[in-house]
Amino acid sequence: MDAVTIPPPDQLDSLDDDSFRLVVREFLRQNYPEELRNPPHRLHWNECKDWYHKLAEKGWLCPGWPKEYGGLGLSPSKQIILTEEYERYGVARTPDHGIVMLGPLVIRYGTEEQKKRFLPKILTGEHIWCQGYSEPNAGSDLAALRTEAVLDGDHYVVNGQKIWTTLATDANWIFLLVRTDKQAKKQEGISFLLVDMKTPGITVKPIINLELHDEFCEVFFDNVRVPKENLVGQLNKGWDMAKALLGFERIFLGSPRQSAYALSRLKILAERMGVWEDETFQDRYARLRLDLEDLKALYGTFVVKLKRGESLGPDVSMLKIIQTELFQRITDTMLEISGENAGLLEPMEGNRDLNIGGLFIQARPATIYGGSNEIQRNILSKNVLGLPG
Amino acid sequence: MSAALDESDRAESIRMIRDSAAAVVPPGGDMKRVRSLRFQDPGFEAGLFRQMGEMGWIGLRVPEAHGGSGLGLSEMCALAEELGAGLVPEPLIPCALSAGLLSALGGVGPLAQLLTGEKVVLTAWQEKADSLEVPGSPDAPRRFLPMAAGADIFLLPVREGGRIALYEQPAARAQVTVERTQDGGNFGTLQPKLGDAKKLADDVGEALAQGLDEAALVTSAYLLGVMERAFAMTLDYLKTRQQFGRVIGTFQALQHRAADLKMQIALTRASVEAAAATLDAGATGDARRAAVSRAKARASEASMLVTRQAIQLHGGIGYTDEYDVGLYLRKAMVLANQYGSAALHRRRFMAVSPEVEE
Repeated sequence: MDAVTIPPPDQLDSLDDDSFRLVVREFLRQNYPEELRNPPHRLHWNECKDWYHKLAEKGWLCPGWPKEYGGLGLSPSKQIILTEEYERYGVARTPDHGIVMLGPLVIRYGTEEQKKRFLPKILTGEHIWCQGYSEPNAGSDLAALRTEAVLDGDHYVVNGQKIWTTLATDANWIFLLVRTDKQAKKQEGISFLLVDMKTPGITVKPIINLELHDEFCEVFFDNVRVPKENLVGQLNKGWDMAKALLGFERIFLGSPRQSAYALSRLKILAERMGVWEDETFQDRYARLRLDLEDLKALYGTFVVKLKRGESLGPDVSMLKIIQTELFQRITDTMLEISGENAGLLEPMEGNRDLNIGGLFIQARPATIYGGSNEIQRNILSKNVLGLPG
Repeated sequence: MSAALDESDRAESIRMIRDSAAAVVPPGGDMKRVRSLRFQDPGFEAGLFRQMGEMGWIGLRVPEAHGGSGLGLSEMCALAEELGAGLVPEPLIPCALSAGLLSALGGVGPLAQLLTGEKVVLTAWQEKADSLEVPGSPDAPRRFLPMAAGADIFLLPVREGGRIALYEQPAARAQVTVERTQDGGNFGTLQPKLGDAKKLADDVGEALAQGLDEAALVTSAYLLGVMERAFAMTLDYLKTRQQFGRVIGTFQALQHRAADLKMQIALTRASVEAAAATLDAGATGDARRAAVSRAKARASEASMLVTRQAIQLHGGIGYTDEYDVGLYLRKAMVLANQYGSAALHRRRFMAVSPEVEE
């Protein structure tokens, strides 16, 4: 078989899907740093910026953006292939909120001037974005957010607090959902505001999570003055815009990859613990394995819909629930078979494939973030099953 | 002897033990002390361990003739439950195991210094994970010694002929490697060195089997305290956290989940208290093993369920290190499999328990 050659970025979208997959594999083999494969926690900017710049330099940074803005202009189908191959290779997530969220927002709702001002700086890595949505009293009930922006001359004055802001310590810009009309119904008084993190009055405080890692932050706003041209889209339409941005990417919360990775490690662990041949273990493993295979099949039916150009319905919530709970059951099983090793802080025998407690703890927030599984079940019962209430 | 106490005396004795636990478990569940000791060596306070000795806790089960308090497992379990609620890190359970052994052998070795809490004495019986077997290999590393970073003396069971002899090896010159655990404590691995050790007794086999059973039961009680407090914190949260304009405890899906957790806690308490009463009434052999395995199987599984769900029901805040509920999950991760996992105890229960005839 011929060696795979990597075509220039503007030709990637014209490859057929199978060739594209091979190109992605080759691209990763040539470019992705071996030591960053399957990192045990979310990487900080200083740990992954070389990879970010490499992607930027090769023109691969923004797969979903149209070519005219510097993206690859890939179809959803090819974006899914790209993500699958990244996941398979164990590629770390970069601080990608500019690429995945802010870029598409500005492209869809921004003014020409906002596009010129913000998009190129995402492509160069000069602007690293974080997302300010959740607040201490607005989690599952996000529309209850209270951080307010009040117009004062040419500026909005922002006061309030955001929480669970991923990698805010690494970011130099933040996009915010802010309340701009306190009288309106709660979804109807919210706007989208872009804020330079260096503006006086902003305080960032890292939160140590159960992984003992500072992935999340609190961000406090005390009379922060933001130029009014930093408002994106229409005033008080921020909620609709944020919802519209939740596009086909929702499928990724249900990607079987996390569970597949964990299951492969469960097998390694079971062999190491001497229970692999055990009949009762085999039955448990078979159950998990079948759940994974069936999840892959169900995931595939959603992928096929996207490939046909259809959009996702509320039933995509099923994928997120099934995937995250399977991931948790696999890591629960890891704890149950590993005896006292379950309590170790570091991977057993210094082997990253035997990161028992680490993976178990990593699996915990999966049922909380991205819309908790309780909220996903509400969506299923109301919007899919049509139950009243 | 404790078994002779009548029921009301017994209840009074248990109540007094629970009250005395307040000396080291701060009211209101303040975790400041527990947090300050996490991920530091030795992982506990030597001074507080001595205080436990002064209060008679290390020798709670040791007969008065050997300098102990001569109380039963019902009292010991009540105490452990209170300590579990406060996540007290001092190695009371493994040291009580050592005290039981030295007492059973007639009050030999460093028993007196252990009972006062001057010396931390750990029994180095374990050679592989998830096992209650004591092979007693002379050279095999002894694994998973709780809080070994603070040990003064190791007791070393060694097979000699058909019996298990007991040696005492000082920690000072011992080769010990220490790994940190999720709860902020540590596990040690000891490379035994019989040349440095002194023989204490020729046959410790039955005393050790009984001691391990008692340690498994007392660990179940500690886990009961862990899950009770994690559940209480969760209930408080369900009653106060507001989303969608009402407290989240009004959502029926969450009410049902809380009810399910309560039932598992109730089953654990019933199982632990029944096992303690069975042992206090003098059960030995298979009857003792069956009672203990029932309790530990339940406590291990229920404590993981309750602490996992405590995180889920708290949402994002439960995933922060700053909020205390995560400390309870981490403790359950360490103790659920100590002195036998749920699976080990289920297997052992089936092996030793006669089928119920209806």
